[in-house]
Amino acid sequence: MLWSNNDQNDNKRAETKKTDKLYSIAVLLEELKSEDLHIRLCSIQKISVIALAVGHVRTRTELIPFLSEITDEEDEITLVLAEELGKFVDFVGGNEYSHTILPPLTKLARAEETVVREKSVESIKIISKAMDKNQIQTYLFPVIKDLANGKWFSSRSSACGLFSICYKSVDKSSKEELLLLFRELCNDKTPMVRREAAKELAELAPIVEEENLKKIIIPLLIQLSEDEQDSVRILTIDNCISVSKLINKDEFITYIIPTLQNCAADRSWRVRHLVANKFYQVSESVDPEIVKENLLEIFIDLLSDNEEEVRVSGTARISDFSKQIKEYQETISDVIFPIIEQLSQDSSKKVKVSLASVITLMAPIIGNQMSIEKLIPICLDLLQQDISEVKLSIISKLESLSKVVSEEILINTLLPVLIDLIKDPKWRVRCAVVDYIPKLGIQLGVDFFNEKIIELYITWLQDAIFKIRETAAKNLIQLTKEFGSDWCTYNLLPHIFKLLKNPNYKIKQIAMYSLSLLAPELEIDIISDKMIPKLTVLQNNKTPNVKLYLAKCLHELIPYTEETNIQEEIIPCLTDLLNDDDQDVSTFAKIALDEIN
Amino acid sequence: MDIDKVIEVLSKCQTPSEYEIKQLCNKAIEILIEEANVLRIVPPVTICGDIHGQFFDLVELFDLGGSPFETNYLFMGDFVDRGYYSLETFLYLLALKVKNPRRISILRGNHECRQITKVYGFYLECVKKYGNGNVWRYCTEVFDHLSLTALIGNSIFSVHGGLSPSIKTINQISLINRKQELPHEGPMSDMLWSDPESIQNWGMSPRGAGFIFGNEVVKNFNRTNGLSLITRAHQLCMDGFQYMFDESLVTVWSAPNYFYRSGNIAAILEIGENLTRQFKTFKAAPKEKRIVKVKMSIPKYFL
Repeated sequence: MLWSNNDQNDNKRAETKKTDKLYSIAVLLEELKSEDLHIRLCSIQKISVIALAVGHVRTRTELIPFLSEITDEEDEITLVLAEELGKFVDFVGGNEYSHTILPPLTKLARAEETVVREKSVESIKIISKAMDKNQIQTYLFPVIKDLANGKWFSSRSSACGLFSICYKSVDKSSKEELLLLFRELCNDKTPMVRREAAKELAELAPIVEEENLKKIIIPLLIQLSEDEQDSVRILTIDNCISVSKLINKDEFITYIIPTLQNCAADRSWRVRHLVANKFYQVSESVDPEIVKENLLEIFIDLLSDNEEEVRVSGTARISDFSKQIKEYQETISDVIFPIIEQLSQDSSKKVKVSLASVITLMAPIIGNQMSIEKLIPICLDLLQQDISEVKLSIISKLESLSKVVSEEILINTLLPVLIDLIKDPKWRVRCAVVDYIPKLGIQLGVDFFNEKIIELYITWLQDAIFKIRETAAKNLIQLTKEFGSDWCTYNLLPHIFKLLKNPNYKIKQIAMYSLSLLAPELEIDIISDKMIPKLTVLQNNKTPNVKLYLAKCLHELIPYTEETNIQEEIIPCLTDLLNDDDQDVSTFAKIALDEIN
Repeated sequence: MDIDKVIEVLSKCQTPSEYEIKQLCNKAIEILIEEANVLRIVPPVTICGDIHGQFFDLVELFDLGGSPFETNYLFMGDFVDRGYYSLETFLYLLALKVKNPRRISILRGNHECRQITKVYGFYLECVKKYGNGNVWRYCTEVFDHLSLTALIGNSIFSVHGGLSPSIKTINQISLINRKQELPHEGPMSDMLWSDPESIQNWGMSPRGAGFIFGNEVVKNFNRTNGLSLITRAHQLCMDGFQYMFDESLVTVWSAPNYFYRSGNIAAILEIGENLTRQFKTFKAAPKEKRIVKVKMSIPKYFL
């Protein structure tokens, strides 16, 4: 309770600050000396309010210098300060004064704590967007030089993050200086700095001139890819992705391919793992021919890696990668599919789950014929391996497959398997099938659905598991949208009305739920003449759960019913429910009646 | 306090503020204090056993049995201790009780007391999540007000543990003063600690509280009180539920893979409008569903 009192006091003070400018900075001074961390934190969070109160000039001349002097040891305070300063461009008087915020941020960029440093660099990047070339040359450039020559690794790390925002706006000799500095940082004795430099390389590459790209950036990329620390080497793949977009075919083959080959065979599995994950992005920047000739074999090696995690992350990208060599169907068939078959028999369950999540996405890439010959047998095999996450993954993504193959295949091959899976002991698998079947039904057409599926579907509305009943009910909307309200009226509604008479109250509830979901799709006279009478009889049911659901359901149907039926049937029914013994029933009835009036 | 907001936060397995918890507990006590020692429940109702802080398995239970807003539920106690999310589990059920007092009923289990929760994890969890014991205090006060037993449709009797030698008729239960910390002995303690056993009459319980009771005891109790069934929890069942004494007593256990290691399945008992009985079993929620989105207001660093 003491805590909430202080909060109230802070709020009151914030109000008076707006009117009393002289008071503000003095109060800030006082609060920041407080022993209680919480008070200091609250006041730091409000410095923008103070800045607004004292105005542009005093913010520049008094507040900012004061903030530069803060020597608080608590990282929570400095973190908030770093973040708030990034918003100060307007408070100091606009873009022309944005450089005045640099001094306190520069100080924070030297902080020992990583999150504080990173936040300060982020804020410097934000305010530099408001600076013009002159300001960057005059104020930001010296800051970078200063930080880069700092004694501690912390300031040198922060310097790394600032090169790309500065480079374009400075003059030629400064650019040369920057590149020299950058090279030094890539050769820094501490791995933390080299790591930050490696990160920045990807940002810097698109910005520098072509000759510098080849003379300086690419050699540095290769050097960092051979660093002794894996935390530095791990950044190689991102750098390759960035640089690949900027060079031509020959340069790619000369410089990048060997680097990628080394990365993919790195002794640290973490590096290989990330390479497997992002490899397809490299292939997006080059011609399919190069992908087929040079990159494919690297990718295949990663898919056969010893380490499980590497195989998992590579497998998850099979479809993304295959898209890049879409025009080489034979290659996909002869090289990629054997690997896929191998992975479907992998000893690790995780790999198979990863495969299941992408395998159906191959269908649009390879087309009908290959899907039938190669893809479907693998899918069926995976489904029969009895791993529930695998089954779930494949079923939930079956649409990609079913859109590609012919109807006969769907009916003769896929459908029997799905019908089988309906009996799976894991309810989530059954639920996924229930969720997918409507999509399949829509593809195969209304006659097929009526003949083969509808009876089954109605049993799902009566499943023991609530979630399955709910899923089946929700999918009725999609079916009605596709097949039309007439279809629904003549084929579906009779079944649902029968469910309303089911002795189990839960089935009655799901039937009512379905009707309320379908109402927007149906004709108003069907609702008024057929639906409402069947519902209102339930008011005599003795179970409160049925009656409260009825009140809710009628509430949903009111906008879709004709006025006369509302007056003659719904209102009397709700009035009756209003007087029910159970308070929940009468509450819901009251809500519905209030809506009508 | 905005009850809907509190329910939303808890449904994601996150905890509301200490102040909101205090208000929730106060509101719950207002409702529970009016309830009798023997709750009268009109069927249909779904009866559930021990949960023991396994929040995500409680979510599975609701996915199986239906939303607590439209289905009647009776929980037979032991919401806290042993699982990782005792606090969220108990508060979630409490919030549901405050929102729909007529649809959900909660009974007291032997773990709903100060002594046990200090040893088996609930107290530690509260201190870890809030830095102090206030929340634990608010909850234990609510425990003191929880009802002890339920009578469904005049023929099904529900209690957490079992029977007491001091209690021959259900009316006697109404005479107990329940609004106190769980005593070490006496009828209130017996009903929350006793176990059925394949004997005829009464025996000493290895637990050190309550008794063990057998076939004759149950048959007499049911006959005297016009009951067709006693439902209780308190003991782990590998199959989720277990009948005894010619189906005149059943144990229902609703914590699958209990204590994250027992490998058992869990069950709920659905009593229909005409007192029909149907058991539904379920397994522990899969790993992908057991994710808690942790809200970080202050970043964490090495200390």
